[in-house]
Amino acid sequence: MHFSHLRLENWRNFLSVDIGLQKRAFLVGPNASGKSNLLDSFRFLREIADPQGGFQRAVASRKGVSQIRSLHARRYPNVVIDVVIATDAAPWNYRVEFTQDNQRRPTIARELVRHGRSIVFERPDDDDKKDPSRLTQTYLEQVNANRNFRIVNDFLAQVRYLHLVPQLVRDPDRSVGRIKDPFGGDFLEQLARTPKGTLDSRLRRIKDALRVAVPQLKELILDRDVRGVPHLKGLYEHWRPKAGWQTEDQFSDGTLRLLGLLWVLLDGNAPLLLEEPELSLHTGVVRHIPRMIARLGRKAGRQVLLSTHSPDLLSDEGIASEEVLLLEPSKEGTTVSVAKYDKEVRSLLDSGLSIADTVIPRTAPKRVLQLSLFGE
Amino acid sequence: MIPAVLEGDLDIPLAKRLLALVHLELGTIYGRSGKGWLDQNLARYNAAARHARWFGMRDLDSDAPCASELVQSLLPHRADAFCFRVPVRAAEAWLLADRERIAEFLRVAPSLVPTQPELLADPKLGMVNLARRSRNRAIQLDMVPAPRTTARVGPGYTGRIVEFTLNHWRPRVAAHASLSLARCIAALERWADD
Repeated sequence: MHFSHLRLENWRNFLSVDIGLQKRAFLVGPNASGKSNLLDSFRFLREIADPQGGFQRAVASRKGVSQIRSLHARRYPNVVIDVVIATDAAPWNYRVEFTQDNQRRPTIARELVRHGRSIVFERPDDDDKKDPSRLTQTYLEQVNANRNFRIVNDFLAQVRYLHLVPQLVRDPDRSVGRIKDPFGGDFLEQLARTPKGTLDSRLRRIKDALRVAVPQLKELILDRDVRGVPHLKGLYEHWRPKAGWQTEDQFSDGTLRLLGLLWVLLDGNAPLLLEEPELSLHTGVVRHIPRMIARLGRKAGRQVLLSTHSPDLLSDEGIASEEVLLLEPSKEGTTVSVAKYDKEVRSLLDSGLSIADTVIPRTAPKRVLQLSLFGE
Repeated sequence: MIPAVLEGDLDIPLAKRLLALVHLELGTIYGRSGKGWLDQNLARYNAAARHARWFGMRDLDSDAPCASELVQSLLPHRADAFCFRVPVRAAEAWLLADRERIAEFLRVAPSLVPTQPELLADPKLGMVNLARRSRNRAIQLDMVPAPRTTARVGPGYTGRIVEFTLNHWRPRVAAHASLSLARCIAALERWADD
């Protein structure tokens, strides 16, 4: 299963988005154009579907409807997220529209599930009209209500997001109590919760891959200290044969980020959202990220949506223009287009230029020259 | 909006000012990875110019005896919609050609500015040497490389040139002292009318 279409209305800095999605999607755009906000629409659905989440929490963790609704929106229209989920059989379509009532409570304005051509349900229904407070919850999050489309709920709840911050992995005290922290605060705990056999086999595969980037690394294990806190330990080749064990607080930023990336790629097969996976990595390593993702897509059918600023990442010849999403800010909010359907991009690709040479210039900020004048 | 393929960052403000002369706006900027890359890929941008108007710039340097020979060898089948211009021998020559303003900007005597910038073998060095004579310490520090470094220009060179090109340079005045610039402006005017 994977997301094959995304529609957004009034979501954060997008007035309107309507795009097809492939197994891989590369989001390219200037800073603050909304790459993270686009990924956040999938995280929002995940939080609704999460057993510990729900619609109210998903809105509250984003500080209310007024923070979510696009500043470009006129008056107070509904915020809309609408996804099509492709399966081997008929596709599923989940749509939620929401706003807030007079007491600024988030309320569902419309919720719809379609399977193929048939409508599984549509709200508000008669019960909702009799009891409007029902509209503070989606059917998606309710076990009783979602039994006809539990597969959609399970799919959305498993979406993964990773934006690993090495400093948080090294210093987990900063994020005590966080669970499934996308920034890596409980990364070591997540590893420690994995069954031993799976953990060992994954660490072995990760070590082999890591050794390409960090050839000195000989061994990689997860170990608990005297207080029971899990630590990653790496054995580095060293001129003193017994002095080479280091823990994660001594790993470099690049090692930790690559390790996190490799782990999350192996962990599960639900859609994965990645923020700038190229950070801290050598350009020679970055070039291989799209290929690793492609292999996983082929083997596990996994979808990966990632944001990037890296020409190296986009230099892979296997990246097709229908996989690249261009985010371009305008006065009417950020527009999102599939690179394949942009005339200028298309003519450059047709004449033999690479995606990187074509797309990165296209999304550079328009007034970037001003930066040369900074400091006067 | 006219997309442009350019050799380097210094060409951006130039392209912007030149296109503005003919009431066109600079669109997406491609290239900027040096002339080796540009030469290799120029034919591809030329192909893209079959569908839309494109602008391009690359320094002549010492790669050919004259600009038209260089264009001929790089682009034997130039598309009509591709306005590709070559400063003789580098973009700095076009900037030096506005003698009055560059002297004012660099705080040097106007008599120090070369009268025929197109005859300079290395206009970038010409610009740096002019900045060396500046009465303003900050300009010297920005534009002139420190002794014994490998850099050809000072750390703030690009920023200063961008500022000059955007805010002080007068292309039509400079055209009187630079034939390649005068031809560029004439070509742009014909091209913009098409």
